[in-house]
Amino acid sequence: MTAAQETLDVTVHRGTTRGACYDSFQVPAHESQTVLDVVSWIQQFADPTLSYRFACRVGMCGSCAMMVNGTPRWTCRTHVKKVAADGKLMIEPLRNLPVIKDLAADMDPFFDKWTAAQGQHHPSQTRHDPIEPIDPGDPLRVEADLGVECINCAICYAACDTVAGNPDYLGPAALQRAWTLLNDSRDDGRGAILDAVSGTGGCHNCHSMGSCTQYCPNELNPMRAIAGLKRETAKSFFKGKRNA
Amino acid sequence: MATPTEIDRHDTDILIIGTGGAGLFAALHAQQSAPPGTRITIAVKGLIGKCGCTRMVQGGYNVALGGGDTVERHFMDTIRGGKWLPNQDMAWKLCEQAVVRIRELENEIGCFFDRNPDGSLHQKAFAGQTADRTVHKGDLTGIEIISRLMEQVLSRPVEKLQEHRAIGLIPTADKSALAGVLFIDMRTGRFRLVRAKTVLMATGGGPTMYKYNTPSGDKTMDGLAMALRAGLPLRDMEMVQFHPTGLLAGDHTRMTGTVLEEGLRGAGGQLLNGAQNRFMFDYDPKGERATRDVVSRGIYAEMRKNNTSENGGVFISMAHLGPDNVRAKFPGMVKRCADSGFDLAAGLVEVVPTAHYFMGGVVVDPDTRTALEGLYVAGEDAGGAHGSNRLGGNGVANSTVYGGVAGDTMGADIRKMGALRDPCPTALQAEIGRALHPLTRKPDLVQPLRHDLQEAMWEDVGVLRTEAGLTRAQTRVADISTALMDVGVAPDTLAFNLTWHDWLNLRSLCDISQAIALAGLERENSRGAHYREDFPDEGDLDASYFTVVTQTGDALAVRRDPVDFSIVRPGETILPDGEPETLVAAQ
Repeated sequence: MTAAQETLDVTVHRGTTRGACYDSFQVPAHESQTVLDVVSWIQQFADPTLSYRFACRVGMCGSCAMMVNGTPRWTCRTHVKKVAADGKLMIEPLRNLPVIKDLAADMDPFFDKWTAAQGQHHPSQTRHDPIEPIDPGDPLRVEADLGVECINCAICYAACDTVAGNPDYLGPAALQRAWTLLNDSRDDGRGAILDAVSGTGGCHNCHSMGSCTQYCPNELNPMRAIAGLKRETAKSFFKGKRNA
Repeated sequence: MATPTEIDRHDTDILIIGTGGAGLFAALHAQQSAPPGTRITIAVKGLIGKCGCTRMVQGGYNVALGGGDTVERHFMDTIRGGKWLPNQDMAWKLCEQAVVRIRELENEIGCFFDRNPDGSLHQKAFAGQTADRTVHKGDLTGIEIISRLMEQVLSRPVEKLQEHRAIGLIPTADKSALAGVLFIDMRTGRFRLVRAKTVLMATGGGPTMYKYNTPSGDKTMDGLAMALRAGLPLRDMEMVQFHPTGLLAGDHTRMTGTVLEEGLRGAGGQLLNGAQNRFMFDYDPKGERATRDVVSRGIYAEMRKNNTSENGGVFISMAHLGPDNVRAKFPGMVKRCADSGFDLAAGLVEVVPTAHYFMGGVVVDPDTRTALEGLYVAGEDAGGAHGSNRLGGNGVANSTVYGGVAGDTMGADIRKMGALRDPCPTALQAEIGRALHPLTRKPDLVQPLRHDLQEAMWEDVGVLRTEAGLTRAQTRVADISTALMDVGVAPDTLAFNLTWHDWLNLRSLCDISQAIALAGLERENSRGAHYREDFPDEGDLDASYFTVVTQTGDALAVRRDPVDFSIVRPGETILPDGEPETLVAAQ
C-alpha cells in the first residue's frame, strides 16, 4: 500500500433483500490483509451488527465465499492487494443464492441440488469387506480424482450464468460430484446418477460458458465433468432406445 | 428491550451437537442402530460439515493395516506419545476400531484415499510413530473425509439445525439426567430449547484463547464450558498441544496462527532466528525434525531471547531445497502462502508456535457415556484417549471412531428410555439470563478483551509454564472475565448478530482458560504438551496421575486421579518379544 492508500474505501451489502441497501466504511489498510480481515474489522470495530460467515480461515471450508468487486471469491484467501489496486472494495453475498442477512447467503439450495444430483457414494461393499485394491493409474480413477478435491464452496455456482437464468439447474458443483461418482469403480449408483443428471435441471442445460472452470479457486474443471455427463447420458439414452 | 421474551420448544429423540467427524458419524450410526421411527436431529454452530476442524485435517488417519504393523503397536505408540497418561481402554478402542472405521470410510462413505502402485492404501509415518500407519488423501485428508460424510448425512432423513449455537445443557429438576439443550438460532436470534432422550456433545475443543491458534474460527470451547457449568468433571485440562509452525502475519489478520504443515520440517525445512541463523540444534539433536512439543519449546525459547523476526517470531526457510522442488512437493502450502502475500518456495516466511489441539475434555467411558444420564461426549470434547499429547493422525481417527461408538451407544440406550424428560425451569432461566446479560449493558467493543485474554494465555499458560506465571494468569483472566461482564451488546438486532456471539465466545473461553490455568498449577511435572520450567522432570511414571477439574457454583476445584494402567504398565510393552523398536525406515 502506498501512503495515499492508508485506508480502504469499502462498500458492503446490508439487509435481507439483495441489492437494496449498502453501507460504506473506511478501513485501515495493512501489508498482510485479506478481504475477510476487512469484513472482520468492520464488524469488530465499526459496525457490530454486520453479518457474515467464515470458519477455517485457510481455504478449506468455503464458508467465507462472497462477491468481491463482482467476482465470487474465498475472502480468506483473497489478498486485498490482488483485488483493490485503487483501494476500493465492493463486498456482497454470494450470487445465485438467497440472502440471509448482509453478507451471509443461504447455502441450502446449493446442497439440496448436491443431494438431488445423487451426490453421495452408493456403496457396493460394507465395513466388513476388505479394502479393494485400486490401481492409482487406472484411467477411471484418474478421471474421478480430477474432481474429488471440490470443497463445496459454491464459487462455481455463484459464477454460473445458467444457474442465474434457470433456478432449477443443478449447477456445476453438483454435476461434477455426479461425474466423479460415475467414474468411481466402487460406486453402485450408476443408473440413479444418470437419471438424476439427465432430468429437467440436469447437465444438458449447460451452455459451456465456462465460468465454473474459470473461477474455481481449486483449479478444478467442472465444465469438463459436465461434458462427460452429457456424453454418458446420451449414450445411455440411445442404449435404452435400442433395448426398448 | 427487543430481547426474546419467549423461547421456541422442539422435541427429538437423539440430538447431536456438532458436525465434524464425531457428529456426522454419530448421526449415521444412530440411524443404523436406533429403532425405526427414532427422530434424529443434528445441530451445528455453522454450516453442516463446513465449520469445525475435521475438515482442516492435513495429515491423515492412523490405522494399523498389516505389513508388520499391528493394533498393539499403534496402541503402544499412543500410550508412549501420551506419556503414560491416556485412559488405556479408550486408547485401545481407538486403535482397534480405527481398523473397522477406515473400511467404513472407504467402502460405505466412499472416501478416496491415496494408493500404492499395487492398489493398496498408501500409509506414511508421522513423528512419534513406529510404523507407516497414516492413511491420507494428499495433504487434504480432512476435506475428503468430511465432504463424503456430509453428503451421506445430507441425503438422509436427519433433521438439520444449522447456525444453532448450543448455550446450555439443561438437566432435570433433580439433576439426575439431561433433559435437553438450549440453543440460540443464530439466524433469528431466538432461543430454542430442544429436548432429547440422548444428546451427543461433539462440538470440538479448540484452544482459541491463545494469541496464536489454528482451529476454525467458530470454535470457542462452548461444549466444555457448558459441561463445566453442568457439573461434569473435565480431565487433562492443562494439555494444550502447540504446533510449532503457525503463520505469523500480524495481529490484524485471521491468517496469523494458521498451520504451515508438519511435512515442511520433515522434508528438510530450516527454522531461522531473527539473525537468520539455525537454532533448533541448540535445543535438540534432531533439530527441526524433533517432535511438535520440542520444536515449539525451542522456538519459544529463541523468541524469549529476542532473536526474532519483524513480527516477533522466527522464519521457516525452504529455498535451499530448490524453489521448484518445494513448489512441486507442497503445492497447496505454496499457493496458500502466495495468496497471503508470502513466498514459501524461495523466500522466508515468519512462523510462531500456535495452539492447535486440546487433549483435555469431559471424563467419559469407552462407550462415550458421561456422569450425566442422557449425555454422551465424543471427539475433541472428550478427554482421555490421548493423555498428555496427541500423535499426528490420531485426531481424526479418534473423532470418527468415537462418533460412531456414540451413535451405536445412543441407538441402543434409547431403547431403554421412556418419555422425554422435563427441564429444570431454574436451570433454563439461568442459562437464558446468562446469554441475555450483555444485552443489558452499555455497548462496547468485545475484540480488545479477546485480545487481552489471548495475550495472557500465550504469555502465562503457553509453551513454557511456571507457578508464578500460572498464578498471574489466574488473576489476569479473572480481571478480563469481570471486565467482560460490563461490556454490552446493542440489543436491537439479534438476528445473525456476530458481536453477541463474540461475547458468548469470549465467555466460554474465559471459563475454560481458568480451568486450564488451574490444572496447569496442579500438575507439578512436565509431560507431553505441559512443560513446567519449575518442574522440568516427568515425575514418577508408576505414580502417574491425571488432573480433574470440576465446578460447584462459581468455584473451580482440581484433584489428581491415579492413571489406571489397565493394559500395560510403564516400562512394559504388549508387543511380542523380539519385535523391532520401529518399522519405519530411517530418513
